[in-house]
Amino acid sequence: MFRVPLLVALALIVAFGGGIGSAVWALKATVGFGSIAIGPWVAFPEAQIVAADPYAKAHRARAGQLLYGGAEGLAFTALTDDTGARLSAGCSYDVSGITPPARFWTLYAAAPDGTALRPGPDLPSAINSWTVLRAEDSRFAIHVSSVAQPDNWLAIRRTGSFALVLTLLDTPTAGSSGLIDLTMPKIVKTGCGHA
Amino acid sequence: MRSIFFAILVGLVGAALLHIVIILTLPQFTGRDAYTRVLGLLEMDSFFPLTAEPGPTGLNNADPFLRTAVCSFSVADAPARFVGRGAVPFWSLAIFDSGSNEVFSMNDQTAVNGDLDLVVATPIQLVELRKSPPEALAQSIMIEMKDEEGYAVLRALAPVDSFEELVRTFLAESRCEPFQR
Repeated sequence: MFRVPLLVALALIVAFGGGIGSAVWALKATVGFGSIAIGPWVAFPEAQIVAADPYAKAHRARAGQLLYGGAEGLAFTALTDDTGARLSAGCSYDVSGITPPARFWTLYAAAPDGTALRPGPDLPSAINSWTVLRAEDSRFAIHVSSVAQPDNWLAIRRTGSFALVLTLLDTPTAGSSGLIDLTMPKIVKTGCGHA
Repeated sequence: MRSIFFAILVGLVGAALLHIVIILTLPQFTGRDAYTRVLGLLEMDSFFPLTAEPGPTGLNNADPFLRTAVCSFSVADAPARFVGRGAVPFWSLAIFDSGSNEVFSMNDQTAVNGDLDLVVATPIQLVELRKSPPEALAQSIMIEMKDEEGYAVLRALAPVDSFEELVRTFLAESRCEPFQR
């Protein structure tokens, strides 16, 4: 007797649960299509334009962030190191190499949702292209660690995973069609714990 | 057994439809998109400098070296004009419409003499301005915006702490106002 209402209820549960669940999952998993991925670094140069795909538009409406315009800059986010393992605040990492051409760049550590970590007013929580110490061939090596390091130190103080955000300001990378070979710094784990 | 299978199949089709509907309509009803947040600052026609910590509207300086100011404006009655002058190492401006789509963006190297002087107008206002260009707008960059409402984001760079004062003055003295001839 209750067969038909039960079947209708089952169909509705699958429809609403699946529909809402998959939409939320899709918006959490990615910012949209059209990403540039160089090693672990991912950027979305077209998320802010009118021709952005529906997922990008839904994501930016939900996140409510002020995005960079094409002439302003491009923010690359890395959630993993070069081997693909999640960045963990218990470990130390070396970010080394060179960046794509840009007038200026900044690097800071952020929580996985993108808000900047502020480990304390006295600690170097961010580095930019003016303050970084370079080798003779203009390469740099930045030590990301919760323990003080010599040379370039990016302090993190947080348990769990984190993200690295490298923002290139006034860069031709944003309009790149992939024809230029872009080189981003490598992220290599140097050790874990307080050793 | 077959009818349960059929019910699940119908449910999956419904789920796919609902997924598409949610993704397409979400921008209209989130209530926390960037434009709504900028409007929540309750200050039109002037640049509002953001702080390092998220304010009541949830907007903040995301990058530790970039100081950001936002301004919501409307070109329904008159064109909007953006003016800024100052020797900061880098500044950039982006204009977004009410759907948070980028309309225009520029930085100090794409500006005339490195100074910010920009007029945003509707297509009709732009025709008027082109027909009889006012003296004051001889150096201005003019751009067209189809949407009547929007917001501007002005960013200035303070690479080291000693630039802080300079950058704060630059943002405070930058103007975002309706243009009256």
